[in-house]
Amino acid sequence: MNPLNITRSDTASGPVLHVVGELDYDQAATFRRHVDQLVLTPGQWLVIDLTGLEFCDSSGITALLAARQHAHAAGADIALAAVPAKTMRVLTIVGLDRIFTIRPDADTA
Amino acid sequence: MSISRRNNVTVSGPADGPAVVLAHGFGCDQNMWRLIVPALAERYRVVLFDYVGSGGSDLSAWDPERYASLDGYARDVVEVCEELDLERAVFVGHSVSAMVGVLAARTAPERIGALVMVAPSPRYIDDYGYQGGFSAEDIEELLESLEANYLGWSSAMAPVIMGNPERPELGQELTNSFCATDPDIARVFARTTFLSDNREDLSSVSVPTLVLDCTEDMIAPRAVGAYVQAAVPASRLVTLNATGHCPQLSAPEATAEAILDFLRTLR
Amino acid sequence: MGRRGQGADPSGTGDDAGVDATFTALLEDSAEELYESAPCGYLSTLMDGTIARINATLLDWLGLDRAGVVGRRHFADLLTIGGKLYHETHFAPLLRMQGELRGVALEMRTAAGGKLPVLVSSVVKYGTEGEPLLIRTTVFDASDRRSYEEELLRRRRDAEQARAEAERARAEAEEARRQAEDAQRQAEADRARLADALAVLQQSLVPASLPEVPGLETAVYYHTASADRLGGDFYDLFPLDGTRWAFFLGDVCGKGPQAASLTSLTRYTLRAAALHDPEPTAALTTLNAVLHERYAAGGDPRYCTAIFGVVEPGADGRTTVRLASGGHPPALVLRADGRADYLPTPGGLLIGILPTAPIGTVETTLAPGETLLLYTDGLTEARTGPGCDQLFGEDALLAFGAGQAPASPQETVSALTKLLRGFGDGLDDDTALLALGVPAARPHTRPATNSPS
Repeated sequence: MNPLNITRSDTASGPVLHVVGELDYDQAATFRRHVDQLVLTPGQWLVIDLTGLEFCDSSGITALLAARQHAHAAGADIALAAVPAKTMRVLTIVGLDRIFTIRPDADTA
Repeated sequence: MSISRRNNVTVSGPADGPAVVLAHGFGCDQNMWRLIVPALAERYRVVLFDYVGSGGSDLSAWDPERYASLDGYARDVVEVCEELDLERAVFVGHSVSAMVGVLAARTAPERIGALVMVAPSPRYIDDYGYQGGFSAEDIEELLESLEANYLGWSSAMAPVIMGNPERPELGQELTNSFCATDPDIARVFARTTFLSDNREDLSSVSVPTLVLDCTEDMIAPRAVGAYVQAAVPASRLVTLNATGHCPQLSAPEATAEAILDFLRTLR
Repeated sequence: MGRRGQGADPSGTGDDAGVDATFTALLEDSAEELYESAPCGYLSTLMDGTIARINATLLDWLGLDRAGVVGRRHFADLLTIGGKLYHETHFAPLLRMQGELRGVALEMRTAAGGKLPVLVSSVVKYGTEGEPLLIRTTVFDASDRRSYEEELLRRRRDAEQARAEAERARAEAEEARRQAEDAQRQAEADRARLADALAVLQQSLVPASLPEVPGLETAVYYHTASADRLGGDFYDLFPLDGTRWAFFLGDVCGKGPQAASLTSLTRYTLRAAALHDPEPTAALTTLNAVLHERYAAGGDPRYCTAIFGVVEPGADGRTTVRLASGGHPPALVLRADGRADYLPTPGGLLIGILPTAPIGTVETTLAPGETLLLYTDGLTEARTGPGCDQLFGEDALLAFGAGQAPASPQETVSALTKLLRGFGDGLDDDTALLALGVPAARPHTRPATNSPS
């Protein structure tokens, strides 16, 4: 099982979290801790860059929903960027493709 | 078990005679009195007993806590009097038993009507303004010697060394010797006897009292006899022409005579 | 010696003479000399203890001179204080009573201030009238004996101490063992109680058995990833009215007791909602509202995915199935002609994350010999491949279904169960399967009953 590696970068519109590894039951808590530490301001965009995401199960979905909740609570918005095809299919099955803003890549403004 | 059996009580003399209870001191048992019992038993109901732990008493009834103070021995006396239903008996106590009598008479005044103190001492150790006859070091030496079992029947040493709790050899000896005691019990009795201080209790004696001392007694010197007589309110002192601590053995006629004289004054 | 000069044997005569000389020498050792120089102490006292006679041996031991002792000192004066007290309280009275005493240990005081352990024996000499006259006493030096006794005592004390320490160590070990056993017993009891509780709870999540549905065949499979964990998967099947039956299958987020509590809420909400309004969409909409109110509104979003269906067996064996889905993987149909199809329900969202959730619906008809399969993602997300690094996936499931079709519900579930077992450790999530199907026509075995009359 590959450990989850999360790095952060900042753009003019808000922070970007780069998620590399597997977002499963064991690792989802790590992701949520990173998200909870983010201070967001109204109007900002929190972008989750999923380029390096290798696996995402229901725990990962829950973690993404928690990030969405965190952003909305601060008056910010959230986008998922560069979603891998497998994860995209999962998101589609559970209907989240219509809930999250989906971007082709993290740099898209 | 009855108190009579526990304390090996023996009664002689006329059943309707006035009761005289004879109590032995540290060391031996009721046999101490055997030379004077015949003279007393002519007119008096003579009660002999052994304290628990001594002579023919029930050793299983011995309790190191109860007998670590003279009050425990006084309870033996009161319990014997109660079982025999004695009223206003004359209590004759030898040596430490004289003080046991003081305590018993205070606890059960209806049972004890007079005291005879034979070679008494309320305090063996010298004190400021008081000559008990022994220094604290002397008594400590005695107790240490008893602790180490350096005194007494040398065969008593064997079970101490071999750790035989049953001590069959000693049991044999106990039946053969009136003054042989289980070393453990003897140690507790000695400590109780020689470390007690009953000087304060003497003034509480409210019954007629006879104090007997001897001309030469290293354990209870004459000064102590005089002290006791002076401290006990209704008392008189008779000094027997006897040596040693046991006038009832060394001068039985004189001892019996002095006690009988006193008994006659009580009528 | 009457044999003197009588013997004829020269050598015998010579021997006798030698022996005689020896005896003569002994006789010259007078009784007085014997008394004074005996290897033990002797003394005689008057009845009051005054020393009347004492031998040189004892004087020598004690470092005393005769003039200072005889007629001046009592026997008790030779003793230590402890010895004196013992003499007065035990020795003297007993001697008076018994007339003799043997082997009593006492301690004497030497002139130099030392102590001499002794063994004393005394006998009273009586006059012709039986009156006591004096006391004869022998004194044995018991120093060596005392040393020996002390050594024995010291060793005995050492041995007792060692034994006591060993006993204490043993008792401590015993106590520790007992506590460990108690703890283990307690842990086992706790585990048993927990297992009982889990079993009861688990039965509240899924039915113990499915009811008989006329005209339909059913089969289920239920697997929890860990025996001591409550599953997050659920399913149920129950009648709505005389002709229609409702069923559902789903998966709640998370694991353990909190997931189980959510599962229980979900199951009973769906049951109650279906009885109120049997439309599949209505049941899931109600569940969404309940979960959102219960969790998301309180800042603790929880959700589930679920497929809810209503099935109505038709008179001709063709059975109508209407499905609604909230974020759940699509159902699979195994057709009678050997095909397998997914029944997508696009747009259906996870139940519980938004106040109002879009629900996807789909409808199909099952002909005899056709089977509808509902499953949780434990099946499609089971890890396969040599390193367990690939997922079984929807495509593989579709292909597997096509390989099985046509198949009855029982055949379908059996085949999948066998497949899942093959995954071994790769099956790391809870998995639930629910299959419904219309029995295939059996013209060869029961043609008469199936023919319209």
